[in-house]
Amino acid sequence: MRRCLIIDDDADNADFVARGLRELGWAVTVCHDALDAVGRAVDQTWDVIILDRMLPNEVDGLLMLKTLRAIGRRTPVLILSALSSTDERVRGLKAGCDDYLTKPFAFSELAARIEALMRRTQPEEGARELRVADMKVDLIARRVERSGRVIPLQPREFRLLAYLLVHQGRTVTRTMLLEAVWDYRFDPQTNVIDVHISRLRNKIDKDAAIPLIHTVRGVGYTLSADGPQRASTR
Amino acid sequence: MTGPISRWWSSIAFRQALIYGTLVVFTMIVLLIIIYEQTVGTWQRRIDRQLETTTQRLLEYYDKSGAAALAPHIEGLLGDGIDSDTEVYTLIAADGRKLAGNLTVTPDITTPTASIAERFVQRAGRPSHSRLRVTRLRDGALLIVGRDMQDQLELDALVRHASLWGAVVTVLMAVSGALLFRRQLERRIAAIRRTAVEIERGDLAQRVPISSQEDEFARLSRDINAMLDRIHGLMEGVRHVSNTIAHNIRTPLSRILARLYTAQGASDPSAALPAAVETAITEIQDLNVVFEKLLRIAEVESGARRQTFSAVSLNAVAMNALELYDALAEAKGLALTHSLDGDPTTAGDGDLLANAVANLIDNAIKYTPSGGRVHLETHREGASVSITVYDNGRGIPEDELERVGARFYRLDRAIPGWGLGLASVRAIARLHGGTLQLLDAQPGLLARLVLPALSDS
Repeated sequence: MRRCLIIDDDADNADFVARGLRELGWAVTVCHDALDAVGRAVDQTWDVIILDRMLPNEVDGLLMLKTLRAIGRRTPVLILSALSSTDERVRGLKAGCDDYLTKPFAFSELAARIEALMRRTQPEEGARELRVADMKVDLIARRVERSGRVIPLQPREFRLLAYLLVHQGRTVTRTMLLEAVWDYRFDPQTNVIDVHISRLRNKIDKDAAIPLIHTVRGVGYTLSADGPQRASTR
Repeated sequence: MTGPISRWWSSIAFRQALIYGTLVVFTMIVLLIIIYEQTVGTWQRRIDRQLETTTQRLLEYYDKSGAAALAPHIEGLLGDGIDSDTEVYTLIAADGRKLAGNLTVTPDITTPTASIAERFVQRAGRPSHSRLRVTRLRDGALLIVGRDMQDQLELDALVRHASLWGAVVTVLMAVSGALLFRRQLERRIAAIRRTAVEIERGDLAQRVPISSQEDEFARLSRDINAMLDRIHGLMEGVRHVSNTIAHNIRTPLSRILARLYTAQGASDPSAALPAAVETAITEIQDLNVVFEKLLRIAEVESGARRQTFSAVSLNAVAMNALELYDALAEAKGLALTHSLDGDPTTAGDGDLLANAVANLIDNAIKYTPSGGRVHLETHREGASVSITVYDNGRGIPEDELERVGARFYRLDRAIPGWGLGLASVRAIARLHGGTLQLLDAQPGLLARLVLPALSDS
């Protein structure tokens, strides 16, 4: 079972996140006290730590994060904060966090980002070729085959597919796609991503026996041979 | 120290005027000294010269006609009626006997002097202040030639007197001038200070009255008024923004509340609640988006991101945006075309510029009907670079061009949006020292982001 430590002085918010993660099969520990949190973060092993910027007793979560990194802990840390300016985000990343999410947030977004963090921390297989069902993707040659038929893709479409593929079986949100595939760090709020996905779908899943790209309603997309799983809840 | 003196002294106008007055008094004194020297002094020198020549003439006469003829000659000179009230001649023999002349012999005058000297003497029996030239002749006799200086002394006194009065009047005028000047200056400054006090009390509509004279104060007042106009405008802007923010936040909030209350009060709340919750979530998410956008605009306007500016290629920004929007344009049946210039580069924040361009393209796609065209163009000209988005959609009516780009201003309420897109583009343009131009493309809209070019150095 994967273990998550939530450090947040807002009990309601922490419980909301904890409940959601438990439903997804996580073992969650909630910690409201900064000192207690430091002890737990250092003494125990966690798969991910969710950290609020503002901790009780005027402790800045960043200080704690820096301490953790200074003693060599590589545990993935996702910062949850109401401080949304670019400056604050950059400070968070500099302090060593792996992702930064601003409050208020949708739980689905948080869940998807945690999944992505898990993926990132797993050792890269250095895989050259990925397979899902009857699709074969050569990451180096940028070649996509489905049932032996080569599907020509534009470079950006390939990046989109590759990102979905690397995170297969997990939900990725539109914001994550915008950041990873187009390098956009803001949300245009229109359905730009949706049309890209539908175009990609047209090329990949058209005439195929099993559709690979699935919409996760209200959250984003997932690539999977087994259809959309209950990857996350609101 | 208190009292009028210290109060006056604390006035810069008074100090300035007094310093100026002192300078005037000093100048006056120098001037009077020069006048005195030029009048009284010159006259005295002329008298001295005259005494010398007269002495010389008498000595020549003495050489020519002998000692015996000199006494009658002197008597003749005294009796000729010319200058008789000022002239002084006296001849005293070697044994001290007065041979001729109008001076009473005193020991004081019997010592010869090297030059002309001023003495108190008895002239024709009356005391007189005279300048005398005393010469010893070859036979030991003394020849005294002189001039009574009474008139000269009177003139001297006159000039001194006049100078003194002049000085007193000048000092008085300087001081009163300083006071007057101070009052004048204080009156002009008081007008500005009164306005400042009024404004401090909260009446921002007050302006400094401008006098009819086109002087320094009028110019200063005008500058102050221009500054106040600007502040007033900004305050109005802030007020407008807070009002619109309040409106745009309260409206959805009251909608959410109304829906939830309705669901709560429904005959079967458990049936009505899920739908109400669903809409509440959507509305709150929308509110969150509005907040995020407003915060982003505020962040851009604060200028903090200027610190991380780096070279940004507009072509790269354009290509990235094109690759993001090509699918959307295609889905809507629009042609998304582009033409890129050399390599227009600016110093800026790549994310923000991408955001701005994406906003412009997003708008163009939104407002252009199927079958239309959206064209993206980058350009470099002299010291500026630009990125332009043309569309042949419905455009913006001429009289609305000014207003779009204000926060929450929306052209068409039927098309979803928040009315913050162009406001943020404008803020981003300003952050980069550039402008957003909105022009009628006939038909359609031309939105151009003009930015300073990055110098090649």
